[in-house]
Amino acid sequence: MLDQLGNGLLLGIIISVASVALSLLYGVTRIVNFAHGEIIALGAIATLFFSSPLDYRVLFLDKFSPLGLNFVISCILAILVCGLFGGLLEVFLFRPLRKNDVGNIAVLVVTIGLSILVRHLYLLFATGRVQNFPLELQRRQTYLFFDMTPRNLNVLIIGIIVMIIVGLLLTYTRLGKAMRAVRDSGELSSVSGINSDNIILITWVSSSMLAGLAGIFQATINDVRWNMGFLILLLIFAGTVLGGIGTSFGAMVGGLLIGIMVQVSVGLPFMEGHSEAKNAVALGIMILILLFRPQGIFGKKERIS
Amino acid sequence: MTSAKISFRLIFSLFVTAFSIYLVFLLNPDGAPRILLNLLTFAGIYGLSAIGLNVHFGWTGLLNFGHASFMGVGAYVTLLLMPHAAGREGEVTTTGLPFFAALILGIGAAALFGLLLGLPAIRLRGDYLAIVTIAAAEIFRLLVRDLESITGGVYGIINYTDNFQKYRPLFIDNFSENLGFSPSQAWVCLAAWVSIFITVLLLKRLSDSPWGRALRAVREDEDAVRAMGKNAVWLKLQSFMLGAGIAGLSGVLLAFNYGSLETTVFIPLLTFYVWAIMILGGVGTITGPIFGSIIFWVIISETDRLAYLLFENANGQQLAGVRFLLVGVLIMFLMIFRPSGLLGKKEELLLDVK
Repeated sequence: MLDQLGNGLLLGIIISVASVALSLLYGVTRIVNFAHGEIIALGAIATLFFSSPLDYRVLFLDKFSPLGLNFVISCILAILVCGLFGGLLEVFLFRPLRKNDVGNIAVLVVTIGLSILVRHLYLLFATGRVQNFPLELQRRQTYLFFDMTPRNLNVLIIGIIVMIIVGLLLTYTRLGKAMRAVRDSGELSSVSGINSDNIILITWVSSSMLAGLAGIFQATINDVRWNMGFLILLLIFAGTVLGGIGTSFGAMVGGLLIGIMVQVSVGLPFMEGHSEAKNAVALGIMILILLFRPQGIFGKKERIS
Repeated sequence: MTSAKISFRLIFSLFVTAFSIYLVFLLNPDGAPRILLNLLTFAGIYGLSAIGLNVHFGWTGLLNFGHASFMGVGAYVTLLLMPHAAGREGEVTTTGLPFFAALILGIGAAALFGLLLGLPAIRLRGDYLAIVTIAAAEIFRLLVRDLESITGGVYGIINYTDNFQKYRPLFIDNFSENLGFSPSQAWVCLAAWVSIFITVLLLKRLSDSPWGRALRAVREDEDAVRAMGKNAVWLKLQSFMLGAGIAGLSGVLLAFNYGSLETTVFIPLLTFYVWAIMILGGVGTITGPIFGSIIFWVIISETDRLAYLLFENANGQQLAGVRFLLVGVLIMFLMIFRPSGLLGKKEELLLDVK
């Protein structure tokens, strides 16, 4: 079981970063964003596009050749692209819906449609094959008591640092306080002079940038697929719910726990020969949490029935 | 809402449906009957499923995104109870129940699964219910794929169609021969549309009964229903079971249309197809999904042309991609610009829940 702990931590950090992003967006806008997975995939696909060598045909459309940039610069550019995408979604889709008083359920269905649309745009115009970032192969090494490649260890460390920064920003900056104020009450915060439209826009941009980072993590650890976001989306929901929906700190811990549980459950005795069902374990835990402690581990009690 | 306005909508829907069928003939000079049969079979099966979903969402306001699992439970239970072959080695099971007994048990199992899933989940608020149902559907699919010794796993179930096809009346064979159909598909098609007819008659009766009115009252104001002394939770559960049973029947028909059953049929995208059909036809109506389904499948069956416009020599992945792309666009745009669909009434929509 312990040999899976390294894999669990890596999956956990992906889910954790993505869950914080989802939770932040849900907290401020009350949108359950089913298109979250597609922003994650955008981060990976954009990085692939920026960083692949010039002669390498990653895209079906022959008109575009990859840019062949430095990998770190590619990642930063990809995260900016994700932020831009999130901002555009807010300005051209979700803000008009909000102004027209479209209900939450309708918006949820819209995000599902958006997710199907964008995912198949990737399939058609980006990459229908499984691809890898242009990075050299590395050998696994043992750190303390878990095995991973040096690159994946860096991913883990960067992930943890990003989470700490996000946590500090939310707790101590004006912006973070304003976000939490809008989350708690949109009306009261606008009375006290907070421009809630701006706050929501910033939330969309930062949530999408975090999602893009999670996508880069996922693609670095595993690979780039057109449906990589949808494959991990339910686990992200599980992480968000486990930690307490709408709480950022809870989402961090919940995401890590879900990742570890998914990977460690492979080693359980009754799971022998059933490794495909490991995601079912996480989803089952999520359902149980929703039934018996719907506010999650860290959430505040709220009526959800 | 005056009845004149409703009948205008009905005529308009009939017109659009008839036009879309005409379009099939126009676009396919050769082989239109065969294409139409395939299309109407799928339209019948998915339409039936969407009618079931409408009982959940349209009548009672339950946000069910695990519809594929109800179809899956119905299909798997029915097929496994009949003679079939399953798994990697195609292990043959020769004993089993006759078709109709297995079908009734399959529908019952789907309804029971609805109850099991509903019991805990029904207490949750809309968006949470959506997450729980989609997660439960994925758990079901993963388990079916993993329990290879029982369900055949990824290798699926085969050799079961005879159980149903042996009841095929002779006139279908004669009729199909004249038009160049596959007689077995024609029989599935007929069965699907007979099922729709019976289900619609049943639902029409239920909808006008005190029970049906109580259901819609649950959607509008649960507290008021409680105040009237009705058990709102039990009403929701009954609605969940009814819709799940209808979905189970459509799942069985889907299995017989495919001729072999694999777990990949019941992916979440199946649920989203049914959602698109329900929204297109009209949330909260009984007959809406029928029109929605026919129009939807005409659009789907003609998108291959669009794919060939976009890509020369489009491969299977690209054809499927363009199809799903369109489904996504349809769901988004309908929800934004016409959430009541073709036949629905805006006042009956439960979309402004906060």
